[in-house]
Amino acid sequence: MSRQIDRRAFLRRGAAGAAALAVGPGLLAACSTDEPGSAGNPGPGSSPRSGGTLRAAFVGGGASETLDFFNGPSALDLVRARAWHGTLGNLDPSGPDGVRYGVLEGIDIADDLSAYTLRVRPGVRFTDGSRLTSADILHSLSALAARSKLPVYRLAAANFDLARAKADGDLKVVLPTLRPIADGRLILCQGNFLVVKDGTKDFRESMPSCGPFRLTGFTAGQGSAFERYDDHYGHVPHLDGLELRSIADSTARAGALTGGAVDFAHDLSPVTARTLADDAKVELAPTKSPYLVGLSFQLNMSAEPFDDPRVREAFKLAVDREAMVNTVFYGNAEIGNDLPSLGFPDYADGIPQRAHDPERARALLKAAGADGVKVQLTTGPETPGMVEMATLFVEDLKKIGVRASVRELPPGQLYADFPAYSALPVAGSYQMPVPALSTYQMNTAGGSPSAFGWKKPETDALVAEARAERDPERARELGTRAQRTRWDEGNQVVPVFKPNLNARAKGVDGISDDLFEQFPGFSRASLA
Amino acid sequence: MNLLAFAARRLAGAVVLLVLLSAAVFAATAVLPGDAVSAVAGVDASAAQRAEVRAGLGLDRPAVQRYADWAAGAVRGDLGRGFVGERPVADVLATRLPNSLLLAALTLAVTAPLATLLGLWTGLRGGVADRVVSTSAQILAAVPEFVVAALLVAVLAVWLEVLPRVSVIPLGGTPLDVPDALVLPVLTLSAVGLAVATRLLRASVADTAATPYCEAARLNGVRGVRLAVRHILPNAAGPAVQALTLTTGALVGSAVVVENVFDYPGIGRELQLAVAARDVPMVQGIATALVAVMLAVLVLGDVCARLLGAREGHGR
Repeated sequence: MSRQIDRRAFLRRGAAGAAALAVGPGLLAACSTDEPGSAGNPGPGSSPRSGGTLRAAFVGGGASETLDFFNGPSALDLVRARAWHGTLGNLDPSGPDGVRYGVLEGIDIADDLSAYTLRVRPGVRFTDGSRLTSADILHSLSALAARSKLPVYRLAAANFDLARAKADGDLKVVLPTLRPIADGRLILCQGNFLVVKDGTKDFRESMPSCGPFRLTGFTAGQGSAFERYDDHYGHVPHLDGLELRSIADSTARAGALTGGAVDFAHDLSPVTARTLADDAKVELAPTKSPYLVGLSFQLNMSAEPFDDPRVREAFKLAVDREAMVNTVFYGNAEIGNDLPSLGFPDYADGIPQRAHDPERARALLKAAGADGVKVQLTTGPETPGMVEMATLFVEDLKKIGVRASVRELPPGQLYADFPAYSALPVAGSYQMPVPALSTYQMNTAGGSPSAFGWKKPETDALVAEARAERDPERARELGTRAQRTRWDEGNQVVPVFKPNLNARAKGVDGISDDLFEQFPGFSRASLA
Repeated sequence: MNLLAFAARRLAGAVVLLVLLSAAVFAATAVLPGDAVSAVAGVDASAAQRAEVRAGLGLDRPAVQRYADWAAGAVRGDLGRGFVGERPVADVLATRLPNSLLLAALTLAVTAPLATLLGLWTGLRGGVADRVVSTSAQILAAVPEFVVAALLVAVLAVWLEVLPRVSVIPLGGTPLDVPDALVLPVLTLSAVGLAVATRLLRASVADTAATPYCEAARLNGVRGVRLAVRHILPNAAGPAVQALTLTTGALVGSAVVVENVFDYPGIGRELQLAVAARDVPMVQGIATALVAVMLAVLVLGDVCARLLGAREGHGR
């Protein structure tokens, strides 16, 4: 270890110690309150150390990063907002409703599924001392989120009539649904619906909010600084402070971690992550299911040869999924079963794993008269591993007699021309972790352009029915039937789910305890 | 023609060029496949949502009209706002351009004296030393910046651990707050710039040394440092300044690469991000500003070269 790192570590510990002494009694009092229903202990027999400032590095958006997270498209914009503002809730499969509530006490669903009632947790305060009420939630949802152009917020706007949302007293908000759905809690509590004060229009550094941390500084493209908010509802963070840094390049992020400039590096490329495996000072902390990114190949059903279900099945049987996991991700990924949303409660995990069967694939191609067919697979480096996956897929296809080739676009091109993208015969793409049925209804139903020619009103209806079913058993059965159709006849090959490859300095803990792993939260994090 | 008139004429030419190039940049962004809609609306937006976003960004209007609007604003000093994140372009320039200029200035401060020394040495001495330096310079000039950067990182940051691998600037601070973070980017840029400048200077020095004027000085017994400083350098200075000017132009291209490798918060990194997001106002503003800086350097170089040439009575 270099002298430089020793000195940095020493300075940080020294500063943290002094700060802990200064706020001693307040800290003890703070530690005694905790969010109900969440144990928050990082491991058996250990209690997290209090104090210190954690520094974490993310891919940012450069100078276009903005405090207005409703319009900020980078991952860092959302991570920053999640440290700063209160949240409606996070997904939590172990919770009674499948979620863990934040500023809410709970969400009630009307018997006829026509409306959701959000019950506000009493006593939540903003940093200026004012109480959080239904007006704040209403403003955050209907005035701000409803106007957002970002997909994460559109998921709610596509399911709830945010324009007709209204307050019912100080502690209740009623959200009408656009069509009957029973899985709305999973949508509202994905960790991205954040709450700011009623009337907020311009997001400023100094504005009061109610998240675990108070923003103290922000420089777009460089980073932001926070201090702990001691009156945070539920539980007070262990850390005194937090610094979120914007470092675009994967190697540079890893370099900042191993060089001791940051304590946590988000979303590294598989190759970069592998170089860290031998470093004794850091450890890998990949995200876990359901927060895995699905890597997929879209087969365009509106053109030959993919209008023939036998060809589509042949392409699915041709993939050597295990080889992809081992070669591209060095074993650090999960095998997919040609359905998105692995690990979500509504994912159809009862369907058997598709086999690797080149023999049968060849026979199917022959039967369909597509033997020796020529296809070009277009993809780009939009997410690490995508191009390597496409290269392997093309090799697999050649083995079943397809004359396949890869066209790799430069970064930023694949989705830039969307009409051209959705007209591709075969596209290498990726799927963000979102519940299975709601994402189907939004992106695949009704012949949407991103469905690549999939147009099956019966399956659309089945999904809508499943989502409108209150009996979990029955909903599951309907949802599985809909996904089975996609599995049998669908035009999506999803061979691999890869984690976000995060890494942290040894001893840093509690980051992955936040259930919204894709965009980490630091409210329970602690330093060594 | 006097120097002022010369400078004024060059400046006027530069302004015309700036207008033409800004139009060319706009045309290039218009020809690029796709637009900012995917970056703003997200990959999985429906056709209707995309159309709405496109109209909101004003991308449904003809390109000529969009350029005219942009140019009208730019003349008033209003460069508009970026599509992504909606930051004023002028703000981004004000925070990022100085960082890049700092990098360029430091690089020039390293390159100029070193290149002068090496150029003089090799140009006057010839022989083995010349061949070794010239060949090394040629090889170095041919190596991509990111390879040079990777080598420097491997040796100085990973192996010897004397320098940080990444330029992590303190929040709210400037790169000057962490001088050691500037060393690797400046070294990388200098290595590439030095190679080019040395070769250009060497040629200029060799040409000057071969003139009858220098021959006469040598015959009069003027040798070594005195010959170099009194006779060769002033005469080679004009072409040398032009050589350095050209090196400065090449620096802009290298800076984009180097800023990304070290995550240095400069304008080159912003340009790369803006192009990837098809953020037309941001690309347009940054590219035009960079073109303006380069044209200014070229005009300044021309004026300096003329000034130096005129003093020695060799003005054309």
